[in-house]
Amino acid sequence: MSTNDFKKASLAAGAAATMTGKARAARRNRGVKRLIRRIEDSDAETRTEAWQSAGDVGAPAVQPLALVMTHEDLEVARAAKRAMWKIVRHAGRPGAPNAKTAVVGKLYGLLGADQPVSVRREVLWMLSEIGGMRAIKPIAELLSDKHLREDARMALERIPIQRAVQALKAGFEIAPEDFKPNLAQSLRKRGVNVEGYPCVKLVPTK
Amino acid sequence: MKNAKQLNRRQFLTAAGAAAASVPYLIPSGVLAAPGRLGANERITTAHIGVGGRGGGLLREVTRFRDAGEVNIAAVCDIDKQRLDNAVKTAGEGTDAYHDYRHILMRKDIDAVVIGTPDHWHGVQVVHAAETGKHIYCEKPACCTIEEGKAMVAAAKKNKVSVQIGSQGRSQPEAYLAHRYLVNGNIGHISRVDCFHYPSPEDKNPVPDSDPPAELDWDMWLGPLRWRPYNKRYCHGVFRWLLESGGGQIRDRGAHVMSCAMWWMGADGTGPVTVEATGTAPKQGLWDSAVLMDVTYTFKNPDWVMTWRQMPNDQLPPAEKRTADELNREIRKISRPGYGAIYRGDKGEFIHWGGDGGTWAERKARNWEPPAGAKDVYKSPGHFEDWFKGIRTGSQTIMNMEAAAGVANLCILGNLSYQLGRKLEWDQANQTIVGDAQAQRMMSRPQRHPYHL
Repeated sequence: MSTNDFKKASLAAGAAATMTGKARAARRNRGVKRLIRRIEDSDAETRTEAWQSAGDVGAPAVQPLALVMTHEDLEVARAAKRAMWKIVRHAGRPGAPNAKTAVVGKLYGLLGADQPVSVRREVLWMLSEIGGMRAIKPIAELLSDKHLREDARMALERIPIQRAVQALKAGFEIAPEDFKPNLAQSLRKRGVNVEGYPCVKLVPTK
Repeated sequence: MKNAKQLNRRQFLTAAGAAAASVPYLIPSGVLAAPGRLGANERITTAHIGVGGRGGGLLREVTRFRDAGEVNIAAVCDIDKQRLDNAVKTAGEGTDAYHDYRHILMRKDIDAVVIGTPDHWHGVQVVHAAETGKHIYCEKPACCTIEEGKAMVAAAKKNKVSVQIGSQGRSQPEAYLAHRYLVNGNIGHISRVDCFHYPSPEDKNPVPDSDPPAELDWDMWLGPLRWRPYNKRYCHGVFRWLLESGGGQIRDRGAHVMSCAMWWMGADGTGPVTVEATGTAPKQGLWDSAVLMDVTYTFKNPDWVMTWRQMPNDQLPPAEKRTADELNREIRKISRPGYGAIYRGDKGEFIHWGGDGGTWAERKARNWEPPAGAKDVYKSPGHFEDWFKGIRTGSQTIMNMEAAAGVANLCILGNLSYQLGRKLEWDQANQTIVGDAQAQRMMSRPQRHPYHL
């Protein structure tokens, strides 16, 4: 094969690959749109079938579903939330690291202040199940958010990597006094010796 | 206020000590004991944590023992004021009322606690009670997560307290007959137990979140659970249909039916090697436990299989008809045939219905006359009585903490497999799920401050 022929063949293969990639993306988009349409359906059975099938749609559906999680129809919002969880549970299966990485990436994109608190809270718990190294920083940033700090603490407590412990320690150093006992609780749970802020679990408060 | 009749052991000893100091004589307890009753220094002083619904039922049961002079009821506690007020009326004058159960744990005069709170509180309250040296009766299921179960077992062992979990099917008279019948090989070698149950309910009338009622402390109802707004469909009673708190029929009644199965199979302390579940989700509403469900537990060495199946009502095994003659012989009619288990052996099958306060054995077990040399099995004097015996003598209770955590683990693993949509492998020796990092994380659930293990 001459150099020119090789270039032509390469270009053709590239174009074919692009076409395949575009076709795949188009199919994915159709899958996401169909999922959202069925999640928003007025029929309970259709919604249920939709959220149960969401696992296969995967990461591309995460952000569109997050938008529906605050839908004015409570049952539609609930179906969207359950679809998100289905995706998380499917992505965390053994032997699917790429699917998990893709979903985690979409999830921590939903932790920003532009999202409703209810969505961010749910996402923190999703990340507590499948989040790894990359999820720690965005979760740790929420230790200073008065609405979400307790959920962020619990999510970090659950993620079984040393980086999560470091984030809890760092959070403890700068936390306001009223939140330090909570962080001390998580740190002790993770085997860290904490000076002061003794455990108050047995102290009556009410 | 406590009257003389309700003097507890420590108060008695204090009083006796004072008397001994002023008048140098020790009074033997038998002198103070009324005929047919335990001596005052042997009464157990109880307090009740969670006194609505099932907790209220437990309180009423214990008042029978109080009236028989076996226990004193010192205190009741609930985070719902209406329920607390009702409990004070049930328990009678002289009973202290608390909102926060930790006040009870701080009292040195209380020997034992009876816990009837929603399931998501069991782990935390049992561990706290054990750490403060209280003996514990706690409603089933023992725990909501694998980690809670481990912590409960460790706390009970370390603090040497007697724990009875409320899978009271083990203490029923017909459970004894069934157990004795099976261990004597009447259906041969049993390789399969099929548990059956009617479906979990669906919420037909979902409602939006709202403010909690004035009498309810929502923060303390949630306790270790992550915070969320109040919704009427969380409580009371209906917490059972949420995976987080009650776990659905598999955890609510599975803790009864599978408790009998594990005991009768001699399988306490063992666990499955794999668990695989499928189920049908509710179509609307807050409740998320499976309506219909199929779970298969595979055990090895010895090899046997247990299944849990929530099935449509028309597929349930019919109840055995009991004759008028049988019913005249203190044999109860099968009033709840909707759950139980079929034991399949190589020489026949055996059914028992129920598994909780109602446990009914098939006629062939009730009529079986043990031949000379037949094996006998432990016959519980009653679930509370067995616990009292454990407190007084240190004997192992029939539904002790280890056995109860083992049964609860079956229910928990079934739900985890359902939620994850995949088969799970379980390592009984190390008490862990194998080869599934997400499922391993779900073996525990971080708890809200300060309501933690």
